[in-house]
Amino acid sequence: MKGRFPISRLWWRPAMNRRAIERRSPGELESRLGRRHSLARAFMPGQSAPALAVAFGWQSVLDSAGPQAARIEDLWWVYFWVCAAVFVLVFLALVMAVFRGRRGKGDPTDPGAPHPPASERRLTRTVAGATAATAVILIGLLVATVAASRATSSLPGDPLTIELTGQQWWWQVRYEDPTPSRMVTTANEIHIPVGRPVRVKTRSTDVIHSFWVPNLHGKRDLIPGRPSEILIQADRPGVFRGQCAEFCGYQHANMALLVVAEPPETFAAWYEAQLQPARPPSDALQQRGKVVFEALPCPLCHTIAGTQASGKTAPDLTHLASRRMLAAGTLPNTRGHLGGWILDPQTIKPGNKMPAVSLGSDDLRALLAYLESLR
Amino acid sequence: MSRPKPKPKPEKVERDEPSTDPYEAEVRQLEETWKRPPGFIGWLSEVNHVAIGRRYLVTAFVFFALGGLLALLMRIQLSRPENDFLDPDLYNVIFTMHGSTMMFLFAVPIMEGMSIALVPLMIGTRNAAFPRLNAYSYWVYLIGGLLVYVCFLFNMAPDAGWFSYVPLSGPEFSPGKRVDVWAQLITFTEISALAAAVGTITTVFKQRAPGMSLNRMPLFVWSMLVKAFMVVFAMPAIVVASSLLAMDRLIATHFFNPSEGGDSLLWQHLFWFFGHPEVYIIFLPATGMVSTLVTAFSRRRTFGYLALVLALVATGFIGFGLWVHHMFAAGLPQLGQSFFTAASIMIAVPSGVQIFCWLATIWSARKLRLATPMLFVLGFIFIFVLGGLTGVMLASVPIDLQVHDTFFVVAHFHYVLIGGAVFPLLGALYYWIPKLTGRMMSERVGKLSFWVLFAGFNLTFFPMHQLGLRGMPRRVYTYKAEMGWGDLNLLATLGGVLLTVGVLLFVGNFLWSRRRGLPAGDNPWDADGLEWATTSPPPPYNFAWLPTVQGRHPLWEQTPDQPVVVGLRSDRREVLVTRTLDAEPDHREVQPRPTLVPLWLALATAVGFVGVIFTPWAIPAGLILAGAVLVGWFWPQVDQDETLLEEQP
Amino acid sequence: MRSRIDVSDLPSTVYGHPAPLWWGVVGLIVIESMVFALLVGAYYYLRGGESVWPPPGDDPPLTLPAINLIVLLASAIPMHLVVRETDRMDRKPDLRRMRFWLLICTILGFLFLVGRAFTLSQMGFRWDSHVYGSIVWVLFGMHSIHALTSVGENVLFLALLYKGPVEEKHLLDVRLNALYWYFVVASWAVLFAVIYFDSGVLRD
Repeated sequence: MKGRFPISRLWWRPAMNRRAIERRSPGELESRLGRRHSLARAFMPGQSAPALAVAFGWQSVLDSAGPQAARIEDLWWVYFWVCAAVFVLVFLALVMAVFRGRRGKGDPTDPGAPHPPASERRLTRTVAGATAATAVILIGLLVATVAASRATSSLPGDPLTIELTGQQWWWQVRYEDPTPSRMVTTANEIHIPVGRPVRVKTRSTDVIHSFWVPNLHGKRDLIPGRPSEILIQADRPGVFRGQCAEFCGYQHANMALLVVAEPPETFAAWYEAQLQPARPPSDALQQRGKVVFEALPCPLCHTIAGTQASGKTAPDLTHLASRRMLAAGTLPNTRGHLGGWILDPQTIKPGNKMPAVSLGSDDLRALLAYLESLR
Repeated sequence: MSRPKPKPKPEKVERDEPSTDPYEAEVRQLEETWKRPPGFIGWLSEVNHVAIGRRYLVTAFVFFALGGLLALLMRIQLSRPENDFLDPDLYNVIFTMHGSTMMFLFAVPIMEGMSIALVPLMIGTRNAAFPRLNAYSYWVYLIGGLLVYVCFLFNMAPDAGWFSYVPLSGPEFSPGKRVDVWAQLITFTEISALAAAVGTITTVFKQRAPGMSLNRMPLFVWSMLVKAFMVVFAMPAIVVASSLLAMDRLIATHFFNPSEGGDSLLWQHLFWFFGHPEVYIIFLPATGMVSTLVTAFSRRRTFGYLALVLALVATGFIGFGLWVHHMFAAGLPQLGQSFFTAASIMIAVPSGVQIFCWLATIWSARKLRLATPMLFVLGFIFIFVLGGLTGVMLASVPIDLQVHDTFFVVAHFHYVLIGGAVFPLLGALYYWIPKLTGRMMSERVGKLSFWVLFAGFNLTFFPMHQLGLRGMPRRVYTYKAEMGWGDLNLLATLGGVLLTVGVLLFVGNFLWSRRRGLPAGDNPWDADGLEWATTSPPPPYNFAWLPTVQGRHPLWEQTPDQPVVVGLRSDRREVLVTRTLDAEPDHREVQPRPTLVPLWLALATAVGFVGVIFTPWAIPAGLILAGAVLVGWFWPQVDQDETLLEEQP
Repeated sequence: MRSRIDVSDLPSTVYGHPAPLWWGVVGLIVIESMVFALLVGAYYYLRGGESVWPPPGDDPPLTLPAINLIVLLASAIPMHLVVRETDRMDRKPDLRRMRFWLLICTILGFLFLVGRAFTLSQMGFRWDSHVYGSIVWVLFGMHSIHALTSVGENVLFLALLYKGPVEEKHLLDVRLNALYWYFVVASWAVLFAVIYFDSGVLRD
């Protein structure tokens, strides 16, 4: 927190003090957050989840977790204090001007008479000085901006490359690798190793979206027909929420993603796990769930690697149970929410492209058991 | 100072002539020549600038109220997390309608209304140039506004945002007629604005009272002139953009379709090439109002007239060099970004000059009067400086990349547009409504309305800065409780209620003043402009004998023997045309009488542009109709006493 | 007693830029020029995004439009003679000459429109074929609408000159009509260069 100002923390404090949370034991945290903050729970699925080892950050510009966001945060505070000072000065000048003006000087019945040249000259000098000061301040800010722009546009190191495709209203994430069999496809959750730059190639297949994880960096639009890319990096482990920042229609509000920054070895383990095809059903209930899944229209849109389901228009479900959230950050990934989502997605996220299916309770239980086994 | 004293007029341009019989006779004949035909048809055929300006103001204010109501609905929806007051579809329609209404049906037209109603009075002429074009611009504007609100009732209102980014607004992702309605709304309001702008430019350049050379022109008139030039150069961009969009949607062209070589960024370039100057089209007239009010209530000559004019012109130019700062997040080349950053930051200099000059005027006031209009000016300075400073922040690419499309930006542009334009506008209305209606508005209610609006405004929009920094994006219909945005949103909603109360106080005050307000007299504020040299409300011919001008503050600086202009004929609608730079009398121009032709032309335009929503053939149909009307419009009127050319058949 | 400026001697007929109507027409021309400029900008913007432009085999045919351009340029000459007739120093304007030259100009305008119709019918692609087709058709279409209305205006003035009565102040209208016609001619010269230098002329 060096270089930042405690007084501003009072005002611009993130919703939760992250360090306070880090100090608490997992159980205490769970009970503190659990009831109200389902999202917080989602950051820590299950008891054994490694996520407990990491802290989480809220979606905030002023709680940076990467070199770029930190640079921008510093720039923000420079701007903030300069602008605050300018505002106070102008406000004081206004108040004084009003007091002096109220007192008045000269003969108000002859408003057209010229002012005494001496006082006009003084005023002219003051206005010219203020204008010059404005220009100087602005040039200073411009220099600071250009420097920050430079600093945030490149990162040293060998980047990991991810292709991020925005679709109405979810994110497809593909990890690129020279070996095609080592490419991982997932959705709405990006795992990245701490300390290594990540090149995010931005694509869109329908309308314009915008990729924005404020704790890491500014946003970059995903424009159909105009591939682009942006570098990000996390300097500390954590789960950072991002949200689509370009209006993209009906469910623009519910198009979020999580960036999970992990120590490199944790990331590598996660990556290896994601490379595996889906776990085969391990009991009869799961087996029945798989049958239910394949009988329903699900495979037309969803993929579960290692099975016949290979639809490409909806999130890949191969490792669904390893993800923290459902429906692009709409719901925590729990059994209850998953069931509700399958039965009635249009009430939870009206207008999204997933149709409701009607299922008997036994089938549903089997399906949930199967999906929850897809770690 | 509670109530402006109707001071004894020192001099009255047209009445301190001895009221000899010839004068009375001339006034009677002027009344006869310039009066509107009776009845409803007469009302429809009105071409007088004050009447049209008043219609503009009333209509625009009605749309302001509607747009505000929509905003209130949005605030209710956002007042708590996961609210289900509005469904996402309706929310999207409402925020689109709110933005489109406020930009296209309120902000631009109401500034046009002020310009049409006041500029001819301020420059001392009998009517605006091209009176039929003025009437046409009003009708087209009215039809455009009615179109979109009627469609709202039939669930055909646009839902792709006031900026209608493609491909979301394109044929594939917005089927149906909603975006077509939006595109045609744009077409209507832009035609209207362009027509009004050409009229303003001509009026200002050609019809100023003798003696009002360009360097003596009131700052309000300067601001309207610069605004009109910006309209002429900026609005064609949105006409082109919305036409290309309509063609993509209706006849399957591919301008914005990436799969056929089109480009969705082309839309953004065209839209913001218009969209950023648009902000200054709204803001510059407001600065003109502020200059006028500051001068009148400080009772001294405007400090830094030349600097203020140069600032207006500079803003007008630089305003065209900023549009890309709306597209920083699109990933454009860095060199271009630096240029637009520099321009966006540097436009703060002319704004700063304006603020400093106003402060200097107030500082050296002979006697500052804190009447209601002046309170709004002080409120404006407070709010606008804040909005301008966040604007400087947004010009910085890295900061912009963080807060772009968040509530921080929502806060910023409401500070600039409400603080920068609506506050001066309300002050200006308190100031000029007595001239337009002949009645004073209540000072007590006026001051109350100011404080309620000021508090309500800051309560609504200040928390949004923080919401944006805490990651809340714009245009979301809901948010999760655990995002922690609930309290600030609730605060903003409460502020919105207070804002509504403030607007209602203003409206109530206005309605009250229509019946009970004190008679205003010619010059209730003892102000300097020529508009105060005639009765309130002014007669249809504005001035029986045109005034002449001695300086920048005509009524304050006139000499005891200030000449008047006589000799304009009163048996037909004659206006005096003067030279562009020095305003020396040049010739007399005969203006058309009241006529229904503008209305017919507007209806023909409507056939074309409303019809095209349903079939492309409406365009030729509208063209033929408009052509027929235009023949009537341009068919020369015959005056018996003009010289005929030889060899007539 | 205040002094008076008596303006009753001032004329009520003027030509050129002192007249408010001149400002109106010039304003219209500026707006239309801006529209054309933006469309040309869009043309080059879209061109920049394509590797082959125009799409192979879709070069618009050149011969007829080139002849047509010459017809249009030629029409400016009779129009100029009409204008010259309106401000002769030595004598009053001759109505017969004005009629004659305006008639010639209008006929050339009609010829141009007929040529334009054939040009469009010979185009090997439509506005919905590809983005090149879209922008080229829009450039053609926008200019055609302007040419059409302007020829219509010429016809209107012909009718006025033949039917009368013609007053001195109408000479201003005739001159402003000419100004607009010049704009129609000049704008096509530019658009022609944009469209055809790209495909036929410069590439081979």
